[in-house]
Amino acid sequence: MSADPEFEDLVKIHYPDLYRFGLSLTGSEADACDLTQETFYIWANKRHQLKNPTKVKAWLFTTLHREFLQARRDETRFKDEPIDEASAEFLTMNADCVNRIDARVLLSFLGKLDETHRAPLVLYYLEDLSYNEIAETLSVPLGTVQSRIARAKMKLLRLLNETNAPK
Amino acid sequence: MTTSEAKSKLLLYRGPIDDVDPQFQEALAHARRDPELGQWLREQTECYDSIRAKLLGIEPPLGLAEKIVRRRPIPFPRDWSRIGQLAAAILISASITALLMKWSERRNHPVAGAQEIVVTGEVLDMTCYIASNLSGPEHAECARICIRNGEPAGIKAQDGKVYLLTGEPGQSINAKLAEYAAQVVTIKGRQSVRDGFAQLQVEEIRKL
Repeated sequence: MSADPEFEDLVKIHYPDLYRFGLSLTGSEADACDLTQETFYIWANKRHQLKNPTKVKAWLFTTLHREFLQARRDETRFKDEPIDEASAEFLTMNADCVNRIDARVLLSFLGKLDETHRAPLVLYYLEDLSYNEIAETLSVPLGTVQSRIARAKMKLLRLLNETNAPK
Repeated sequence: MTTSEAKSKLLLYRGPIDDVDPQFQEALAHARRDPELGQWLREQTECYDSIRAKLLGIEPPLGLAEKIVRRRPIPFPRDWSRIGQLAAAILISASITALLMKWSERRNHPVAGAQEIVVTGEVLDMTCYIASNLSGPEHAECARICIRNGEPAGIKAQDGKVYLLTGEPGQSINAKLAEYAAQVVTIKGRQSVRDGFAQLQVEEIRKL
């Protein structure tokens, strides 16, 4: 049934990562599937507009994120704070503690983060993108992306620590 | 650079991927000199690796790639000479079809007036049903998306007969039908049949 092997190869390479990104943003498997499908649909229609083929991955993530924001139409404004202030405690935790946690629990913690902080944090963990590429993907300045990641990461570690704290 | 300043920098350090990033160089050098900071950095990167592995362990649902590929639009070559040829072919084909239809209208009796009927059955996404025989609850999500996106919808009656579902002339009913994708409903509407192909213009939908 294959009439477009190039498209199928692209899907095979990128759909798992896009799905995980979508799932981390929405917390819903069905919404993540819809977002992933919609992203490739848009790609199939607009691929001729992309001048630099090495930017395909960033283009796909940007599109999925844009579709997510459009779906949510969340106009919430937020305030970014410098990393130093945000990370005053410098929490860290034992990797074994993370390993004991179910992926679903991790997703539910990601869902507790502000949307504008969740997306850069997920790209930070999931994708081998430089900070400049993450900033470009999300269309926000580099400093803003880094402060959002730092804040989101501290909040995530705090939630993980609370889960592992003795009852 | 103080230990606290180094930590604030290294909070974002992920491991080898960031080794070439100049913003971490000074802090990394500090961590090599300070054993306590070095230990903190090791825990920090191990924790990063664990969370990353946990997220990468999430597998997409089975069949998602196939759905994406099936839904892709047919690529259209942007070659203007080819587009011109296609346009001419479509024009000639449309003219011949129009002539044949005119000729056929003269020879055939018109179709009998639409008749009101009630049909109970499963709402189908006709594209997947005809091409791949896909229907039923396991195909519900795909059917909902396809119908919502404008693919033709149908209903398979309990006697096995399939009807194409339409709205009033010029009005799509897909948004409404998408809500009932792959569900069994009762539809009242006006049936028209031509060349053995049945169409039902929906007037009322009731879910069982």
